[in-house]
Amino acid sequence: MSKKPSNTATDFFIPLKKKINQRERRIAALAVAPAVLLVFFFTIIPVFIAFVISFFKTNGLTYTWRGLDNYFRFVDDPVVHQALSNTIKFLFSVPLVISFALLVAVLLFEKIRGWQYFRVIFFIPNVLSVAVVGIMVKSIFGYYGPVNKIIEYFGNEPIQFFVDGSKAFWIIVFALVWAGFGYQALLLLAGLTSINPEILEAAALDGAGWWRRLWQVTIPSIRRILGFVFIINVLYTFGGIFGFIFVMTAGGPGFDTTTVDYLVYLRAFSSSNLGSGAALAVMLFLVIGAITLLQTKFFRISEDD
Amino acid sequence: MIKLSKTKVNKLRIKGRTPVLIGLVVLSISIIFPLFFILMTSLKNNVDYSRDPFGLPDTLMLENYSSLLDNFNIGRAFLNSLFVCTITVALVLLIAGMAGYALAKLSVPGGRFITGTFLGVMLFPGPVLIIPIYVLLARLGLIGDVKGLILVYVASGIPFATFFLTLVFKSIPKEITEAAQIDGAGFFRTLRSIIAPLGASGVITLAIMQFLGAWNELLFAFMILPSETSRLLTPTLATIGTRYVSDQPLVSAGLFISASLPLIILMFASKYIIEGLQVTIKKN
Repeated sequence: MSKKPSNTATDFFIPLKKKINQRERRIAALAVAPAVLLVFFFTIIPVFIAFVISFFKTNGLTYTWRGLDNYFRFVDDPVVHQALSNTIKFLFSVPLVISFALLVAVLLFEKIRGWQYFRVIFFIPNVLSVAVVGIMVKSIFGYYGPVNKIIEYFGNEPIQFFVDGSKAFWIIVFALVWAGFGYQALLLLAGLTSINPEILEAAALDGAGWWRRLWQVTIPSIRRILGFVFIINVLYTFGGIFGFIFVMTAGGPGFDTTTVDYLVYLRAFSSSNLGSGAALAVMLFLVIGAITLLQTKFFRISEDD
Repeated sequence: MIKLSKTKVNKLRIKGRTPVLIGLVVLSISIIFPLFFILMTSLKNNVDYSRDPFGLPDTLMLENYSSLLDNFNIGRAFLNSLFVCTITVALVLLIAGMAGYALAKLSVPGGRFITGTFLGVMLFPGPVLIIPIYVLLARLGLIGDVKGLILVYVASGIPFATFFLTLVFKSIPKEITEAAQIDGAGFFRTLRSIIAPLGASGVITLAIMQFLGAWNELLFAFMILPSETSRLLTPTLATIGTRYVSDQPLVSAGLFISASLPLIILMFASKYIIEGLQVTIKKN
């Protein structure tokens, strides 16, 4: 909260100040106008359009009113069920990414010589496109790829990883972890760096070993940033896996790796009913909105203690 | 910048350094090896690759790269991407720079509401917007038009960019901007000769982040520019990667071309990129 300046001494200047303020406010309003308009037209309006389209059967040219039909159909649409359960399954990647990130953060926090170079290396996946990471991982697990060469070396038959839904699933999880842990480690590291060193020193002097300090002092001290990282991962699982699925499995085999966000794309561009895709998108939007609200509530509570 | 406090705790544990180093090296290899592998693969031909994917290439073969240039128009896609990303970054910096300055230093009517809305909009997932944006752009006749894609990139970059620059510009002492105003400097003058130079490192950080974001974007690029001639690099790579699965060296060369620019940027500007992280944390 910003305090209002006391104006007893400046009362005399108020008329002039008001004039300047009005001018300043006009300029300020003009300065933010382009940003506000662009965001309004290309993010807020589209959400409304999605809502509207979700009530129609449409191929983009002709529109037939369907009411809530597009939504009701999800109830007995096996593909939607599968996509939903796949998206939930991909939440498995969240604890994996965070564990690796925490490991890297704790190692970097030791600040051994050259740690800054390691920091840059761990940042590499974050500057690469999801398409690059996805295709790279796919190549590595390809039939003639290096992983299969290792498997053959040990005398086993090469595996076709992408014809088996559950194998394909774990390879996508691998890609998610590879792409995400370094960046999140740096987020957690920033949290670690802001811990008051005296607390750690005190714990060390009390005879707490490295592991105990980690579990009882370090991790509890960064629980807010851990919560934040957790939430961005969950949000990402709901709305950001699309790219990996697109380049790695195209949702296959069958619909075994089709997630909700990928299904929105499928419905949008390979079926004649945009309305169904829009209805899915609206559901996704509501779920993500609910998660975000829960998150803010959660953080409010933890701030109080 | 966060101050890196050299704690005494670290010094207490000098003997524990070797395991830390080993851990970091192993994890770093998990990042670097796949990239190195892709680079090596891109320099082989398909026969060599299927015989021994791990072997180093006997002679450095650039045939995959020349094939991408000749048969897949990857040079053109590269230039298309460069063009779109540069224009996007320029527009985002201009528009978000104006908004950020106003929100940080002037009294904007409804400023808090605008900032709040921008923060909320940042959480909108891309897939939610694909259908309505496609419909909207189709109405405007902008499908297949670079302008349409740039518009989408600029609009989706602005919320974060404005938020970021507002934070950066807020840290500039108010006395300096007020002095400039008293000297009669107008809005743009103050923005250009006071705010932008003083916030330069933040502006560079933002420019890099926006550039990488646009360079790596797949969904909208694929959807809005479907034709072969105007296609950008990332969707071109995605197409090659999904269609030519049996020619890994070719795919690898494509990967390496796409990854090269981001990697070079990271190499030279890691300081700026990693600085951008701190703002993400402040958001929290």
